[in-house]
Amino acid sequence: MDIDPTAQDLDVHEVKTLLALKGGERAPVKKIEESTGLDHSAVMRAALRLSQRGLIKIEESEALTIRLTPEGEADSTKGLPERRMLRILAERGECSLDELQKVAQMSPGEVRIALGWLRRKEWAEILREGNRVFLKITEKGKVNLHEESDDEKLLKTVSKWGEAEVRKLPQDLRSEVGTLKRRGLVEVVERVERSLILTDLGKRVLEAGVTPTEEISELTHELLVTGRWKNTKFKRYDLSLGVPPIYPAKIHPHQKVIEEIRDVLIGMGFVEIKSRIVESEFWNFDILFQAQDHPAREVHSNLSLSKPARTKLPSPELVRRVAKAHEKGVAGSTGWGYKFSTEISRKPVLCSQTTVATVRYLTSRPKPPVKIFCIDRVYRHEKIDYKHLAEFYQCEGIVMDRGLTLRNMLGYLRQIVTNLGFEKMRFRPGFFPFTEPSVEADVFNEERREWIEILGAGLFRPELLRPIGIRYPVLAWGIGLSRLVMMRLGLDDIRDIFSNDLEWLASSRYPPTHAPEPLGVE
Amino acid sequence: MPTITVSYSDICSMLGREFDSTYLCERLNMMGIETEVIGDELKLEILHNRPDLLSPEGVVRALKGFLGIETGLPKYRATPSGITLRVDKSVKSVRPFISAGVVTGVKLTDEIVASLMQVQEKLHASLCRNRRKGSIGVYDLDTIEPPIRYTTVSPEEISFTPLDFGRTLTPAQILREHPKGIEYGWIMEGWNRYPILMDEKGRVLSMPPIINSEETRVTEKTERLFIDVTGEDERLVNWTLVILMTSLSERGFRLHTVSVEYPNKRIETPSLRPKRYSLNVKVTNELLGLNLKPSKIAEILKTMRYGVAGSRKDSLTLLAPPYRGDILHQVDLIEDVGIGYGYDKLTPVAGKVFTIGKKAPIESLADRVREIMIGLGFTEVMTYTLTNPHVNFELMRTTGDAVEISNPVSEDYTIVRTWLLPSLLSVLRSNKRNPLPQQIFEVGDVVLLDDRTETGAVNVRRVAAVAIGSRANWTYIKAVADALLRELDIAAEVRGTDHPSFLGGRVAEFIFRGRRLGVAGEVHPEVILGFELEHPVVALEFDLISG
Repeated sequence: MDIDPTAQDLDVHEVKTLLALKGGERAPVKKIEESTGLDHSAVMRAALRLSQRGLIKIEESEALTIRLTPEGEADSTKGLPERRMLRILAERGECSLDELQKVAQMSPGEVRIALGWLRRKEWAEILREGNRVFLKITEKGKVNLHEESDDEKLLKTVSKWGEAEVRKLPQDLRSEVGTLKRRGLVEVVERVERSLILTDLGKRVLEAGVTPTEEISELTHELLVTGRWKNTKFKRYDLSLGVPPIYPAKIHPHQKVIEEIRDVLIGMGFVEIKSRIVESEFWNFDILFQAQDHPAREVHSNLSLSKPARTKLPSPELVRRVAKAHEKGVAGSTGWGYKFSTEISRKPVLCSQTTVATVRYLTSRPKPPVKIFCIDRVYRHEKIDYKHLAEFYQCEGIVMDRGLTLRNMLGYLRQIVTNLGFEKMRFRPGFFPFTEPSVEADVFNEERREWIEILGAGLFRPELLRPIGIRYPVLAWGIGLSRLVMMRLGLDDIRDIFSNDLEWLASSRYPPTHAPEPLGVE
Repeated sequence: MPTITVSYSDICSMLGREFDSTYLCERLNMMGIETEVIGDELKLEILHNRPDLLSPEGVVRALKGFLGIETGLPKYRATPSGITLRVDKSVKSVRPFISAGVVTGVKLTDEIVASLMQVQEKLHASLCRNRRKGSIGVYDLDTIEPPIRYTTVSPEEISFTPLDFGRTLTPAQILREHPKGIEYGWIMEGWNRYPILMDEKGRVLSMPPIINSEETRVTEKTERLFIDVTGEDERLVNWTLVILMTSLSERGFRLHTVSVEYPNKRIETPSLRPKRYSLNVKVTNELLGLNLKPSKIAEILKTMRYGVAGSRKDSLTLLAPPYRGDILHQVDLIEDVGIGYGYDKLTPVAGKVFTIGKKAPIESLADRVREIMIGLGFTEVMTYTLTNPHVNFELMRTTGDAVEISNPVSEDYTIVRTWLLPSLLSVLRSNKRNPLPQQIFEVGDVVLLDDRTETGAVNVRRVAAVAIGSRANWTYIKAVADALLRELDIAAEVRGTDHPSFLGGRVAEFIFRGRRLGVAGEVHPEVILGFELEHPVVALEFDLISG
């Protein structure tokens, strides 16, 4: 039988342990610790590996051992209290209790113990004469003066051995274990005793000869350049052990969602534009045909500004056309029928919808075809809670060309939603002040078995388009990204998106929409 | 969007048929109404442009058409009640318009009372803009002696017992003491005379837009209702009244008009005449992407409760129900054709508009910077742009000017940040329990006031990075700054500077082509401690540009 491969693999502790068994074939672990100089855990690790390779067997047996308590330790040198008192009594024949106490220099507790045992062992009598209590040594006491009792023998034996295995004690002493334990002088410990037994394979390996080589745990520059690495045995690591985790620096998961949707849109031919954080009410609302008393414009809907105090309006001609659309209507519309105020138009607000950016773009580039999108932050007058943020990302896009229809709108929406990885979707009517027809798209959440609104869309109203000089259909849609981020990352609380807990960021994994098959490593 | 609660069994009994609730909800969804089922109750979310659906009666009216149970224009007849309502000229400067009507043959069941209260509340909140643009009053006509006057009084001129209040109050007291006065008093701010509706005997009906009188209260015994809507917008006042009256008509009650006499004109309200529209067939098909014949469009629009008064090859003459005050333009009719056709039946058509996609240049640059910072071992964070002067300036030992919110929701968010570093230091503060060292960065916008621009402010894209821990010293942050700029092909000049947020002699500004890109250095101990941190921090912040 070729035993080489097994022997080659042995590390230095294993070899030493194996060698310790040479000749004897069987030895308690303790003995091997002594002969190899390895500590207990090193021997046990080596033994475990040797047994896994079939070189040895580990035998376990349970054994009761006793050892001295600190009190037992003290008594084993000074003698048991009753012994100490017996000696004094022997000197004086009889002695009053008070005197005895003084001479013996014992604590009242010890005296009590001593008296109890003197009586029980019948070494002394306790006598009473009037008020005087005194002790008198008995014949048995005299005999025992120079002879150790069994309990004392046991105490001495344990003291000598340090620890004594109960079953190895002489029969007569064994019966005293209980006595000493009750007196609190020894404690009994249950202990597993392991012995290593050489197997036949182990014997053959030993016969073939093994020698311990020093092991190195780290490969060093010095080992490499001197060539010493060739004669070095590298310690084999326990590869099943865990290591402290490390994490790569990462892109924020919300940014990954932004990248994902941007990739989808650029792939569909959309050009990205940017929005402004500070806008005028003219661009944020008026031009979008939102009446100046529209609920979305009220103080509890958006964030208005005291600084800057006011904004500049675009060309008076544009303002006039927008005002007319509101007041009397344009392109066959009745308008809202109220008095338009340019004072309101000038008020600055924090941009509340990215539609503003797309309409600004259209105003300066009214020629088809146009396909643009914008992903930026928008602001709302919201108290931050688990469902609401005061600022969040919106993604808005438009398509302008001749002959576009509502069905084209649905076509673009389906393409976007499918590319974002949602399989089941539906359209239903919606309402936005600046689109008509309007549509909302839901995706089906399999887990919750319900439709979840994902985007809103529609064709820009003529009242919006006519004042900016556009006579082509414009398809527009908007996606609030927070819900998408929450779906992607499995969040229930919208605030978690911007919590920036570094532990969460480190461990977060952004799931790609269409996960490719993992590449196997052969 | 406003929501109403309706009873599923009430809906079915008005429809005259039991419908499976899943089917009913799906149909409602396709009408643009979102649904939530809670036992026998249905919670319906109504689109802003359809206040006529804010009552179960209105929803049923639309459903009957959509389900094909009863199509075409709903017919409403209102005979004159013979009641006159005189409008005093003094209302013109406060709440100039009023419409009124009478409903008879009324039998008020619990469901109808609940529905009537709900539709009033919902119309007040949405269409009437919290009663500012319009407010509704409903009274027991048998407690009133017409004719009725709509006039104004001075704040202490009269007194009456308002609804749900045990004693009489003057108008001024109502604004101070009555819950509704406290809630809606803001509407009357600056008015020195208050609108009042009273009858021949001087009995007060109501003080619009605040409260009715107890005396004219509607009870379960009420058989005749008097209803008024006052407001500042005549079109809206009429529309609101029509929605209310036609809803009640769906319960089988009879409607009557009231003659409203303004100083210069006299009108009968409500006007239940359908409105006439012309619909261009070609435009309709072009917008929807369909090829529907005029007869098909007519059939669809009847399920949306329109009447068709005439049909030609290229156009239809439509009659819209009087409660449809939302129609501004032909596109609104076309949307109804789409809804009637079924959004679930409209098949999407792939777009063929060819354009080349492109990322915004600033975003390409931002992505480059992200890649560099990740490579340098910094983790990206994303923080709010809204902050407050304490964090943005005081904790940083600086002062300055920022975009300021006039209606902040909380004291934490009152300005827009002018730099990123305070946000990053706040992130370190909230991560104190996590092990050190920590290195984070953000690529984000700040806003600076700039009166040369149209909006008075500009977005500036920046990158900022901070590191906390034993490595956080000048050598390290300078090396990071150098690496970042080197990768961006920016050969910047480094100049020692003074900056209150940093330790003197350990902060430098970076200049490129005469422009100050930003700063890097060791953060001042006072700033570190101000953010409740206990270890050295280094930081950099640069404008985002490329070489």
